Amino acid sequence: MSKRTLPRLLQTPAVLLLLVWMLVPLGMTLYFSFIRYVLNSLRRPEWTTPSLSNWRGFGNYEFVLKSKDFILAIQNSLLIVCSILFLTVILGVLIAVLINRAFPGRGFVRVLLISPFFVMPAVNAVLWINMILDPVLGLQGIAVGGINDLVDGLRNAPLIGWFFSLWPELEPISFRATQTSALAVIIMVTWQWTPFAILIFMTSLQSEDQQQKEAAVLDGASAWSQFRFLTLPHLGRPIAIVVMIQAIFHLSLYAEIEIVSRGNGNKNLPYLIGEFANNNIGAASATGIFAVILANIVAIFLLRMIGKTLME
Amino acid sequence: MAIVAQTTKFSKIAWPVLAWMVGLLFFFPIFWMVLTSFKTDADAVKPEYLFWFKPTLDNYLNMTENYDYWRFARNSVITSVFATVFTLFVGIPAAYAMAFNPSRATKDVLMWMLSTKMLPAAAVLYPMTFLTKSLGLFDTHFLIIMVLSLINLPIVVWMLFTYFKEIPKDIIEAGKMDGVDTLGEIKEILVPLAWGGIASTALLCFIFCWNEAYWTVRLTTTEAATLSKLIEGNRAPEGLFFGRLSAVSTAAVGPIVVLGWFCQKQLVQGLTFGAVK
Repeated sequence: MSKRTLPRLLQTPAVLLLLVWMLVPLGMTLYFSFIRYVLNSLRRPEWTTPSLSNWRGFGNYEFVLKSKDFILAIQNSLLIVCSILFLTVILGVLIAVLINRAFPGRGFVRVLLISPFFVMPAVNAVLWINMILDPVLGLQGIAVGGINDLVDGLRNAPLIGWFFSLWPELEPISFRATQTSALAVIIMVTWQWTPFAILIFMTSLQSEDQQQKEAAVLDGASAWSQFRFLTLPHLGRPIAIVVMIQAIFHLSLYAEIEIVSRGNGNKNLPYLIGEFANNNIGAASATGIFAVILANIVAIFLLRMIGKTLME
Repeated sequence: MAIVAQTTKFSKIAWPVLAWMVGLLFFFPIFWMVLTSFKTDADAVKPEYLFWFKPTLDNYLNMTENYDYWRFARNSVITSVFATVFTLFVGIPAAYAMAFNPSRATKDVLMWMLSTKMLPAAAVLYPMTFLTKSLGLFDTHFLIIMVLSLINLPIVVWMLFTYFKEIPKDIIEAGKMDGVDTLGEIKEILVPLAWGGIASTALLCFIFCWNEAYWTVRLTTTEAATLSKLIEGNRAPEGLFFGRLSAVSTAAVGPIVVLGWFCQKQLVQGLTFGAVK
């Protein structure tokens, strides 16, 4: 046994645990995705036990691809993920630049800004959908009611009354409805993850080349062109990383979707898998494999970037 | 800083004001939750009591009665603490091996570990339910501890690896001269040296365990159900219970938000796998 064998063996428990954790369930998913397997079937009881004799080939995949829910779930997953990415990156860059300057109470403002990130997803969803977005009892409902009352009162006012009588009565939005539940999820997740983007961009801004900036100022560069030609290019890599990490996390959003509308009008892939898994395990597994493929497309790029910095 | 040269009087005032406004705006939902938790359920939905109301502690005092809060909290503490301890127990030796005795495969092993973190959990939902039920592990503390550990193991190994890499090899080698064996090296030299890094890794791991909301919801019913499960089960839209719901939510996230303030830096490292420095 060479001198280095024992120390190297110390990583085996970690590697083995992860290997089992990854291979066993994923292998089962792959197997189930190729057979007919349902939990309850009066007509075909033989399908209720997983067995190779129920081989279906790519039948489950075909079934999933042809189902309307799957296309909707993919569209909805992409809509949610892309909207969140767009909003968090823009807000993140702006706010990171905003607090990158010294001002009184900066540390405290940073603490305020980062806090949403540590709120557990279930609380985040319950808090927003009930206490803030509810059309009657939430702040939204109260605010809309308040504005309507105010406008109503002003209608009878002398001189300016005619102006307010042109105003329409505002209607509060129900965020649990089919058309709006995705919007509610986008709002709450953006609130939770913008702090993450801010934190990363802030870390990155601190390593920005100050001499270069001073030179730009001496050359008479405007604040805008400094931002455009120095800060933004400097943030290119962190932005790419924020986008990829968030994409991977948000592709598997679950608690928020469940709490807002139980998936009503707002299913994403994980939610659809959960629904299939109530009975049709074959379809749930095939959908799972699609989800893995989708996540891997992003993960490959991300891992490549991490790999470059890993050994520096 | 460079921009100071251009600062006008206007931006000297407007800038901090804007920054403060944005900060307060982001914090407002949390503030609102805490404020509502001191209102009675009836007052919480009345516009006339938005900010001025008679504060009450009843919502906190009745948490056990209303939600059986402490049972869920106990489960959250048990699973998160043991998962964190177990993850470190497995992760420290692994990171030690990779940092001080790297082989050609080390980089690939690390990358592979991270890749397991990127698999969507939902893809293995049924196999996990099936396996845990047939092994009799469904809804047990042991299962949740193992799942939380495995979810966080890649991040923990990775973070520890970056901390350990900063320690000069000579210090560890010196231990060998004194005849200390490998496990002694870890226990007596490495752990005391890297204490700060290990502590912040543990803290972050604990936060992630506490907030986990997929497996803790799908693989439990009552016995091992955590706070995520409790809140998820009380999503009802009636709005009659805003006060008590706020209290139990505040109790569930309060300690973690405060802990989070202390590990902002580690968060960047842990979540970007070191790709942003």
